[in-house]
Amino acid sequence: MASERIPVARLDEIPVGGVKIVQVAGKEIGIFRTPDGFSALKNVCPHRGAPLCQGEVTGTFAPSRPREYLWVRDGEILRCPWHAWEFDLHTGEALHVPGQRVAAYRVVVEGNSVMLCL
Amino acid sequence: MKIIDTDVHPRWRSLEELGGYVPEPWRTKLLTRRIVHPHNGYPNPVATHRRDAVPPGGGQPGSDPDFVVEDLIERYGMEYAVLVGESAQLNISAMPNADAAAALATGYNDWLIHCWFSRDPRFLGSIFIATQDPQLAAAEIDRVGGHEQFVQVALGSGARAPYGQRIYHPIYEAAERHGLPIAIHPLNEGSLIFGAPTPVGYPSYYFEFHALATSALQTHLVSMIVEGVFAKFPNLRLVIVEGGVGWLPPLLWRLDKEWRSLRVEAPWVNRPPSEIVRDHVRLTTQPLDEPEDPAHLLALFDMFPADEILMFSSDYPHWDFDDPTRVLSGFPDETRRRIFAENARALYGL
Repeated sequence: MASERIPVARLDEIPVGGVKIVQVAGKEIGIFRTPDGFSALKNVCPHRGAPLCQGEVTGTFAPSRPREYLWVRDGEILRCPWHAWEFDLHTGEALHVPGQRVAAYRVVVEGNSVMLCL
Repeated sequence: MKIIDTDVHPRWRSLEELGGYVPEPWRTKLLTRRIVHPHNGYPNPVATHRRDAVPPGGGQPGSDPDFVVEDLIERYGMEYAVLVGESAQLNISAMPNADAAAALATGYNDWLIHCWFSRDPRFLGSIFIATQDPQLAAAEIDRVGGHEQFVQVALGSGARAPYGQRIYHPIYEAAERHGLPIAIHPLNEGSLIFGAPTPVGYPSYYFEFHALATSALQTHLVSMIVEGVFAKFPNLRLVIVEGGVGWLPPLLWRLDKEWRSLRVEAPWVNRPPSEIVRDHVRLTTQPLDEPEDPAHLLALFDMFPADEILMFSSDYPHWDFDDPTRVLSGFPDETRRRIFAENARALYGL
């Protein structure tokens, strides 16, 4: 099945660390710009349906020894604005809830246009 | 489907907005920070409020009545939203100065009337009282209890003594006289003048504190039953807010078992506690338990009169919000109808 490329933003429209939430093919999708590129996730948390892409783009504290704090993956984690589930901003996988993920889409940049691949 | 949301949290836009309703000399003291709402000892390490509930005009989630109408009441087609104070408000009972606390209660209730009730008739609310001086608390209930949008009297679960004890009874006398249930909301245990939030001291983390939120609620429930509050005030009802549900059935089993052995110590408890709870106690559902196997939640609801006792709540705009379109799916229609609206309608006379 050939995928469609749909323009969703101008390159300069989304700052690094920012998000643009778009309506495409009946879905709400958050287009994120990270230091190394773009990612896109469906704007529905698999837990209870929250607008996931309105959550904070952040890092996380990795599993560690007691009283040890290891801040990692800054800018790579999306935290749900409701119950604070953590998701990998690129793959959409929930970090600590096995089997749970949000749909992730490919994004390509063509010239000045950010294109969502559906 | 009809929905009555039994736990929604408003907040003042600014201390100045609240202060306008606080009587002097306390207004000046409040606005110059000579008195303060005690801080909750355990702030949320992630976020207390939903980021997506920030009003379009700015300000804190829950501070714009028009946006609460739009973002909650209209979005979900709710009939009513019952407003309950946040931690700052629960914590007036933690203040060392009883008169300051009573003044802040008065101010809060007038703020609610003028800034929320007048905006939309679908807002119902909770009379806030300070427990340091139960006579002053009863006077406050008498002052505003006649307002038709006040449907209950609310307290935090943080306290210096379990709520069944006789020092609190003037509050229950006044509430019963006005036909108002008492509502207890958790997560301010251990503030200022209260004892430690657990029976064995102060936990280190909010994670622990939040997980254990039902502990004080259970203590107050058991106290009110065994002290005979519902025998002394037969028309009084109790609402346990924001405690979830799962802890209740095993507690009812335990209480009934204890009663068969220990009834002689408190002979005014003249029937099994589970029957007293069925008649006098309601629970709001949020945060609804999430067992791995959804069938277990259905089974849990079979273990006690869930159809009569539970009332849907969302806890808007807090982080652990329950979306009414996402909870209780898979339950029978009649159960949903009663939990989403009819039990609250019967309790609050709507």
